[in-house]
This record gives sequence, C-alpha cells and structure tokens, in this order.
Amino acid sequence: MNDMPSHAPVESIMPKWVRGPQDFIGGLALMGIALFALWASSDLQGMRGFSFGAGTAPRMFGFLLLGLGAAVTLVGILTEGAHLARYHWRGPLFVSLAILSFALTIRPMGMIFAAMTSFLISACGTAETRWIETLIVGACLTAFCALLFPYALGLPLQLLPTFMIR
Amino acid sequence: MGDIFSNLGLGFGVVFNLVQWTPAFLGGASIPIPVNILLCLIGALVGTLVGVLPGIGTIATVAMLLPITFGLPPVGALIMLAGIYYGAQYGGSTTSILVNIPGEAGSVVTALDGFQMAKQGRAGPALAIAAIGSFFAGCVATVLIAVLGAPLTKLALAFGPAEYFSLMVLGLIFAVVLAKGSVLKAIAMIVLGLLLSMVGSDIETGASRMAFNIPELADGLGFATVAMGLFGFAEIIRNLDTGGESDRELVQQKVSGLMPTAKDLKDSTPAILRGTVLGSILGILPGGGAVIASFAAYTLEKKVSKTPQKFGRGAIQGVAAPESANNAAAQTSFIPLLTLGIPPNAVMALMVGAMTIHGIVPGPQVMQKQPELVWGMIASMWVGNLMLLIINLPLVGIWVRLLRVPYRLMFPSIVIFCSIGIYSVNNAPVDVILAGAFGLVGYWLIKHDFEPAPLLLGMVLGPLMEENLRRALLISRGDWSVFLTRPLSAVLMAIAAALLVLAVLPTLRKKRDEVFVESEN
Amino acid sequence: MNWYGRPLASGWLAALAGLALLSAQAQAQTYPTRNITMIVPFAAGGPTDVIARIVTGHMAQTLGQTIIIENVVGAGGTTATTRAARAANDGYTLITGHMGTHAASVPLYPKLAYHPEKDFEPVGLLAGTPILILARKDFAPKDLKEFIAYVKANESKVNAAHAGVGSVSNVSCELLNSVLGVKPIGVPFNGTGPAMNALVAGQVDYMCDQIVNAVPQINGGTIKAYAVATPERNPSLPNVPTTTEAGLPAFQAQAWNAIFAPKGTPADVVAKLNAAVVKALDDEGVRKRLLDLGSVIPAAADRTPAALGTLVKNEIAKWTPVLKPVN
Repeated sequence: MNDMPSHAPVESIMPKWVRGPQDFIGGLALMGIALFALWASSDLQGMRGFSFGAGTAPRMFGFLLLGLGAAVTLVGILTEGAHLARYHWRGPLFVSLAILSFALTIRPMGMIFAAMTSFLISACGTAETRWIETLIVGACLTAFCALLFPYALGLPLQLLPTFMIR
Repeated sequence: MGDIFSNLGLGFGVVFNLVQWTPAFLGGASIPIPVNILLCLIGALVGTLVGVLPGIGTIATVAMLLPITFGLPPVGALIMLAGIYYGAQYGGSTTSILVNIPGEAGSVVTALDGFQMAKQGRAGPALAIAAIGSFFAGCVATVLIAVLGAPLTKLALAFGPAEYFSLMVLGLIFAVVLAKGSVLKAIAMIVLGLLLSMVGSDIETGASRMAFNIPELADGLGFATVAMGLFGFAEIIRNLDTGGESDRELVQQKVSGLMPTAKDLKDSTPAILRGTVLGSILGILPGGGAVIASFAAYTLEKKVSKTPQKFGRGAIQGVAAPESANNAAAQTSFIPLLTLGIPPNAVMALMVGAMTIHGIVPGPQVMQKQPELVWGMIASMWVGNLMLLIINLPLVGIWVRLLRVPYRLMFPSIVIFCSIGIYSVNNAPVDVILAGAFGLVGYWLIKHDFEPAPLLLGMVLGPLMEENLRRALLISRGDWSVFLTRPLSAVLMAIAAALLVLAVLPTLRKKRDEVFVESEN
Repeated sequence: MNWYGRPLASGWLAALAGLALLSAQAQAQTYPTRNITMIVPFAAGGPTDVIARIVTGHMAQTLGQTIIIENVVGAGGTTATTRAARAANDGYTLITGHMGTHAASVPLYPKLAYHPEKDFEPVGLLAGTPILILARKDFAPKDLKEFIAYVKANESKVNAAHAGVGSVSNVSCELLNSVLGVKPIGVPFNGTGPAMNALVAGQVDYMCDQIVNAVPQINGGTIKAYAVATPERNPSLPNVPTTTEAGLPAFQAQAWNAIFAPKGTPADVVAKLNAAVVKALDDEGVRKRLLDLGSVIPAAADRTPAALGTLVKNEIAKWTPVLKPVN
C-alpha cells in the first residue's frame, strides 16, 4: 500500500524554495499534531519526585514528534522530493459516509437496516457500480450477516429497529 | 527423557480418546469416535472461518466462540478452544495477505510482504508458506513445551519491569528496521504511534489523558479500531482512486500457481527455522514478548538477507519468518499459563476464564493435579497445527478465488464486515466512527508516503514501554541505572544500540556516496 | 492499549439453558416476554463475569427467557454502568455491578455520569469474593502481626502491587493502607494476571486480591497469604486466619457482586427478578460452583432488594473517606 504517489505534475501552489512539497506538508502536519498533543496534555501532572506523572510521557513524545516533524519539513525544503499527490473526493466521501451511517444506525435501527444502508452508500464510492447487481449482493450479504453474527456466533446484536421490538 | 515420553503418551492418549457411539439405528453396533480430535478439527475450522472475516481479529474470534465450548467436558472444551485459537490466528494471517487487514499486532508484519505477493498474483504461495511455516513452528514449539516447559518458566520470572522496558526499546528499533522507505519518516511514524497510545487512563494515577471526556476513549484507542482504519479502510479508499481499479484488474488476471515453487521452499526454509527459534523464546515472556516475535523475525530476515531491498515488495521470507515466529510464540505463550497458572496475554486470559467456568482454576499445581488436562492440551497443540495444515492447504484455492470477486462488490462487503467487527468488540458505535477517521488519516499517510506499519507497532509497544519504565523506576526509587546494571536488561539494550547503528549506517553511507558522486561530477 | 481488555462474549450458555425450559414460558405472566440483556461491565472470564454467568444461567430457567450476556469493558466498569443507567427501565436491561462500579466509583471518579443509589433499583446480591492479604513467598514477615510491624517500620522501602487504578485489588489495598496508616509505593499493573506474576517472581512485596485468583498460587507455595478479610475463614483456605483472628479487625473487605436494574423499573418486575436470584442461590449446582470459586453466598436476609440498597449505601460511606485522598 505504499506505492509511490503519482508524480503527475500537480499545479504547484508551493513556493519555489520548497523542493519536496510532499515531505514539507507531511512534516508540517506532524508538527501540528505534536502541538495539538502538547496542548491536550498540558493540564496533566508532570514529574512527581522520581516517579513519572500522567503528563510526562505524552509531553516527551510530543516534543520528540515536534522535532521529527521539523526534520521531515527540513528534508522537504532541502532535498528534491515528490510532489503532492492528487486527492480524490468520491471514494473517501462515500466510504466515510457509509461507516458513519453504520455507526449511527446500528443501535436504533438494528443490524439489517444498518448493514444494507451502509453497503449501498459505500457502493456510491465508485462509478463502476452496477446497481441491480449491487442490490442483490447487498441483500445477500445482509442476510448472511444477520444469520452469522447473532445466531451462529451468538453476538448481542439487535437485528430489527428498536421501535419494531417494543 | 522417559518422563517426557510417558507424559506425551498420556497427552496423545487423551487427544486420541475414542468414545463408543452406539446409535439406535445401527441396532446395537457401536462406532468409535475420536471426540477430542473432532473437537479440535471443528475448533480450527470454525476459528479459521470466523478469523478470516476482515475486521474480526484473533482475540475477538476467540471471545466470540468461547461460549460454544461451555457445554463440553473441560478437557474437550480446552482442546477445542486451542483449536479455535490457532484457527483464528491463521484466519487472521489470511486476511492480512489477501486484503491487507491485520487482525492482531503480529499479522501487521505478515501484511507487509504477504499483500504485496497477493498483488503480484502470488497469494497462493504466500498462504501456503504461511501454513507450512506455522505447522513447522508449531511442531518445534510443542516439543519445546513438553521438554523444557518447566525450566523455561524461570525465564518468564526473570523478566521484571526493567527487562521488559529494554525489550520494548529493542522492539521499537525492529519497527525502524522493517520500514522500507526513509528511516527518518519511519521514526516519526513510531513516535506518532507512541503518542496515540498515550490516549486513555494513566496507569498510575488513573488521570484521563487526551481523551476529551469521550467515555469510549477512557481506555485508549483499541488496536482493532486503529488497524482496521489505517489498513482496511485506508486501503479501500486508496483503491477507489482512479488508477486503483485497473491495478486491481491486473491482480485478478495474473494469479499464478497456488502452491510455492521449489525455489520458494528453498528460500523460506532458513527463514522458517530462524523465525521458529526467535518466536519460541519471545513467546515465553508473559509481558508482551509474543507481540514483538513476528517483527523481530522479520527484522532478522531483512538484516541477514542478501537482497534486503526485496523486503516490503513481496519477499516470501517476509511472510515465512513472521508467520513461523508468530505461531511458535502462540504455542510457547502457553508455558506461563500451564506452569504458573498466569495468563500472559488477552487470549490466555480468556482461556483462564474458560477453565474457571469449567471449575478448573489454573495454578502452579495444575501440572501435577491435572496432568491429563495439561498434557492433553500440549498434544492437542500439535494435532491442532496438523488440522490447520489439512484445512488450509485445500482452502488456499478458495481464498485466492475470492480475489476474483469484482472490486466494486468486494469493497462494500469489506466495509460492512469491518464495521460489524469493530462494533462487536465492545458494542460501541464510537469505535466504528474512530476507525473511519483513522481510515482518512491512513489515506493521508499514504499520500505523503508515510508507512502505517511502524505507527501501529509504536502504538502497540507504547503502553508496554511506558508502564514498564514507570514500574521499574518506582521499584528502583528513581534510579535509572537499573536498565544497565541488571544483566538481562543490559544485554537487550546493547542489542538495541547495535541494531540502531546498523539501521542508520546505510542511510548515512548513502548520503556520503551521493556527496562523493556530486563532487566527482 | 489494554491487552486484557475489550473482549466480548455472548449468551450461549444462558441461551441453551433458557431454551431447555421454554415450556415454562406458557405459565409466565406478562414479564418477561422476550430476551433479557445482562450487561457485565468486565471482560468475559473474569470473577464478576463467571459469577454472573453461573447465576443468570439458572435465572433464565426460572424466568423462561434467554438472558443474553453483554460484556462491556472500560474505565473500571463505569462505561458499562453508565449505559445501564440510561437504558429503558422495563426490566429487559439489567447489570451485574460490583463493589467498584456501585460503591468505590463514587469517590474514585469525580465526574461519574451516574449515581449507584439514585440511578438504579437494587435487585439482589449474588455472591461475594473475600479479599486476601498476600505477599511474595520470601517476604520477611511470617504472620500478619509481623507484617503490620514490618510495613510500618519500612514504609519507604516496601512495594505494594495492584491491578490498576480502581481495580478491586487497588481499592482494597488503599483500605488496608489507611487502616495501617501507611503510604507505601504502589506499583500499578495492567490487570490481576501481571500483578500476580510480579508477586510470584518476587518483584514486589505484597498485594491485596480476590480469593479466586490466589488460591492455587497459595496452595502451590509460590506466594503466601497472611489473612482473609472476612468475619469467617474460607473453606477453600482453611489454614488462613481471618483478619480479626490475626489482630487487624478493622480491615474487612469483600468484592460483592449484585444485579441492578435502571431506576424506575416496576416493583413487580424487580420482585420477580429477585425471586429468580434467590431461587438460583438455593440451587445445589449453583451453590457448589460458587463455593468452588471461594465465593461467599449471602444469607437469606441479605438477599432482598432492600438489603442490597442498604449495602450500597453503607459501602459508599465506607469507601468515600478511604479513596477521596487518592485523587
């Protein structure tokens, strides 16, 4: 999964002195995460005598990541590197929506609804979807899961929406 | 030696125990049935089938199937549970290889080269070598437990917090070495993983760290959540990018032979041997030794290989070594349980739970008091590994055929299985959302050429490292020299330092070479 | 990440038992008409889970419905308890709480999202597991008297292990330390298993723990027990004196487990559930399995919902002063 991102010449918004935009942005983002973590753990206790406090290790790793992020950024400035890869919106959007919809509907609406809806939403993630085929496979998969998880494996999963049980 | 044979004899006697079945329709004739072998077979089969579902890891599989064994007699139940455990582990490796979704920390490494092999149409040999390596490792580890189980326990007890901290430092160095790209970026990913592992309750004070009052974060980010996100969901999103589709079509067309070639076997034999030895030793350590077994083996292979650049791009040794190590460690991790009665990891804790429900409370005397149980289990390990081989070699063809399912249908199915799997771990919808978020993070990481494997390993090792460091310092009253004055710890630290130098040197040398090249020009 | 954490399990045992007596359903009144969910706030296979499974297995027969066990792990059981407190109060969602979730949590977690008294209807006490004072096998003191003197004299040198903040072993050791008036270094572990491992290996000096985990180690001679913190000796460890006998009567601790329903569950439903609990505790098979674990089965008078309510009130009062200074 670590294929080199495409070197397609993306219209560069980077200033000229950034020779490896991929590393430059990556390093900056790591520094951002590190700063966020340092802020989030700022209320935690530090060293208490010889024993670590709750905040000691998070701060240690936070500063370390800050330094490493800076180093990666520096590499991005100093050495010739890859350009920014092209992002696509369709896949990420629909897969995220499908996951979100599953998480939000599994408890109130039960597994049958959650699995089927989520299957159909994620299928929107590609232009290659053929809808009749997808509907059939989705229905079969939902039926399979409905039999497998609660019955064969005995998991405490609710199949039907709550309002239909009450 | 005589003892061992009589003990193993007892064990195999238990496993091969025949029960006479006299069904009414045979009119009094009875059929001998090897009940325990059947239980082991069913366990391994069911474990494989559930473990192979993407999104359901080893621990989740064992926990899910645990109640099935409640109705059985104790020995049969434990034999079946052991079968389920091996099956689940192997099933997890299968998903790592086929769809790049590791079900437990150990399979993260298998996914590195296994999935690359699958992409090159060599999923069959990868799956087969995993089964063969596991079987060999299982055989060796079984004998090891039978012969050296009791003395090896001392090693488990010699490891205190200081030793575990040093071992974890060594583990982090392994994580650096297994990266195939920039060492700097790999270290950054490890530290990001360490930072993520800090989320949750502080072990000493119970203070909530970076959890933002979200109750589901109170115990930290689950491995399954992050792994499914970074590997499973991110891989799907990446594949949906244009270009990914045609990539997939290619994979489906070039599936070559199902079984490893003679050259594959020759290449993997030393890897399997080394993996088995490393895994057997690390598995005994209850405080997280088994976790680092597979990537210690991977690192070793990469270091001794004449073609280290092939690792991460479909080297068969990169599948054979970690799979053997993982399985050997899975076996030897039974040693602390059988000789001390102390569960060394989450799966073993479930085993203890099963024993307790059957009225057996494992302790240091379980070997003397219930020899048929202990030796039956040891014998069943070997039988279980044999079952895995018998079940899985024929299944390889079926798994590989699964890859031919068009991706437009496969990816929504993986999304559903992963969602259900993550949800079922703790019945928490928030976990599913978190996994989705990590999917987006993983997509971003891929776009910036950061590797997710070191991140995940940092996340697994982080808590173990921090907790043991703090324990060691509490016990030594703040004296940092314990890590160097305790001999075992000092040895581990020295190995770690040597490995780090080895890992960084090539990079430095390359830089220097580049400088030379430029100056010559 | 918690390696002892986050498993799940299901109600096969209960399901099988329940199916066996489906015929009893015919004479059942209105409640229960469908499956009951029992939330267990700890991992499958732990002491609370085992007790809950043994008792609910029998209750399912009495009630004529399957009882599905849902293990929800996290934050010392408070995540699950919060969920149970917010569940519908129709008697179809219950929780097996224990000393930690329904008493010690009040002082331990200042931001607790529920209150054990205000948000729950007590149903019935299941069983208690006595707490033992344990030490590594080569720890100098020979009996509890010497132990008390030793710990007081070497307060800055001794190490006490516990299984994590808020665990039974942590909470009960805090009680012991406050009774003794000492503050030794507490070495935290991630669960009872690793803590016991460290004690067996002699890396720490002493700990307090539930009897279930400790009996085989004591009998195997890998650790030693100074006393059991209950009024009577335990049949599984007849040679271990009680704290009263050994000279520390102020240290009394038992990890009790009990069933609770969300506040506002109808009284007749609670009564029906309580009757099922009582019936289970009178069953020979159930009693034997509980006693084998070293558990203490409550006397008839202690099994009513009212008695459980009183117990919760008393326990909160008992733990609050002990645990408040910790945070």
